[in-house]
Amino acid sequence: MADIRERPAFQSSEVTSMIRGGGLDIEIADGSMATEDMILNIGPQHPSTHGVLRVVLELDGEVIVRAEPVIGYMHRAAEKLAEFRDARQTMVLMNRHDWISAFNNELGFVIAVERLAGIEVPERAQWIRTMFAEWNRILNHLMFSGSYPLELGAMTPIFYAFREREMVQDLMESATGARMHHSYCRVGGLKDDLPAGFLKRSVDVLAAVRKTIRDFETLIMGNEIIFARCRNIGVLPAETAVAYGTSGPVLHASGVPMDPRKDEPYEKYDEVEFDVPVGQTGDSYDRLWVLVERMKQSCDIIEQCIDKLPPGDFRAPKLPKTLKLDGEVYVRTENPLGMMGYYLVGNGKKQPYRLKMRTPSFSNVSVIPAMLPGTQLPDLISILGSIFFVVGDVDR
Amino acid sequence: MAIDTSKPADQPESGVGQGLLKGLSVTMKTMLKPAVTVQYPHVKPDLPARTRGVIALKEGNCTVCYKCSRECPDWCIYIDAHKETHEPAAGGRGRSMKVLDRFAIDYALCMYCGICVEVCPFDALFWSPEFEYAEHEIDLLIHEKDRLEEWTYTVLPPPALEEGAVPAADGAAVGETA
Repeated sequence: MADIRERPAFQSSEVTSMIRGGGLDIEIADGSMATEDMILNIGPQHPSTHGVLRVVLELDGEVIVRAEPVIGYMHRAAEKLAEFRDARQTMVLMNRHDWISAFNNELGFVIAVERLAGIEVPERAQWIRTMFAEWNRILNHLMFSGSYPLELGAMTPIFYAFREREMVQDLMESATGARMHHSYCRVGGLKDDLPAGFLKRSVDVLAAVRKTIRDFETLIMGNEIIFARCRNIGVLPAETAVAYGTSGPVLHASGVPMDPRKDEPYEKYDEVEFDVPVGQTGDSYDRLWVLVERMKQSCDIIEQCIDKLPPGDFRAPKLPKTLKLDGEVYVRTENPLGMMGYYLVGNGKKQPYRLKMRTPSFSNVSVIPAMLPGTQLPDLISILGSIFFVVGDVDR
Repeated sequence: MAIDTSKPADQPESGVGQGLLKGLSVTMKTMLKPAVTVQYPHVKPDLPARTRGVIALKEGNCTVCYKCSRECPDWCIYIDAHKETHEPAAGGRGRSMKVLDRFAIDYALCMYCGICVEVCPFDALFWSPEFEYAEHEIDLLIHEKDRLEEWTYTVLPPPALEEGAVPAADGAAVGETA
């Protein structure tokens, strides 16, 4: 018992060193006027918000000195679980790590499997996949552009967003069978073809979505309160954004037009015309603006997909009876929240040997320690809300 | 490649408060429109035929091949069976066949992916859009074959396909990939 050292009493600096892996180096001046930085824990919040992100803040008055996101509360070992499941079973997991861009996730994974196995996908299936990826992007962006004003204190926009989200979800349900976890892709094509009347209904829903975007712009984008809360708040310079590996709306708002849909087109993105909206200052307002503009571009892509949808098979007619994954492949896709990468390694079995997911939210959240220091505490919500992450996507 | 689309004006053009008033006009317009909400317990939703609500089992079609329980990503299907030998009336060798004793799906585990329905080679499993089977106790979410059989009465016929669609070949083998 002799080698047990006496532990000093609880000190806040020790707690932070546990969190950050390094000590505090604050020098507290002598005398009665000495001040001390305060450690404030934000979260973990309820899963139904954006998930259980916990941020540890070090405050000097109302100014944030340091900020550290503590992640891992929603870790579900999706990568490990995938090592015991074949491609079709893994798709179910891929739906779930980022639950509001489910179709884009399964699309990225299925493309990885197809490239590894050398399977050719019919034209019609590719067009339908492109269309659904954009429908899901609209779903996701409606969600975030509705919830961001809610975090700033405006109740109205989320109801408008959910009204059209419901229409899009009903539309996707009629084809896929599910509102959230679609499981519509299959290796070599799709699970089913579109049901009759789908395209006609799509045109109606598209018109409704466009109207909502217009309403949303009138309601929010010119609002003085939004200007006051978002303009020049949380400015992320392009160099920092690139250095931390951010992608999607966060990176586009900082003025970098990196978009896998343009840079290395997958599916039919090289045959549709669309723009990548780019912000100028990289503040919270720009990030929200990019989100809204991306929705407009998605509407245009869907319109082109409806026009160009060719007749044909929805699944490759000749598929290997048993799927053997061999070799390795890395696939980048543009998820609604940013660049999603699947690194798939196979060793001749039907289960992947290793599946590494590069999720957009993880990289976007990593920029928080660089963004928050020096800002006021009341701006925290405006900045955190505008980074647009899903914690299931951060932790997998 | 990417373009720098011009942003909206930094400040509203005519006076402070214009943006707020414009926003209020949108809420005003919406206020005058009829509500889009549905009074759920009184008004049931009209769900499409493909909706993955609950899995129905047509017991007569099941040959106890265990494909569904093997392909299930979280192994939530429980099957028990025994073998019976039938002596043919005209003599000769007896035919042995499997008889289903138990078929249960644990909906507490089910991820509603639909793989079991897809792999079933003899059309014994179907999706039904019914969804109102929440329970107060988790054990009750295990539906035995009698309850699964009842769900077959709520199954809707598959929808017609969109123009230009080529229907899947009838009886096409569904491998691990499809």
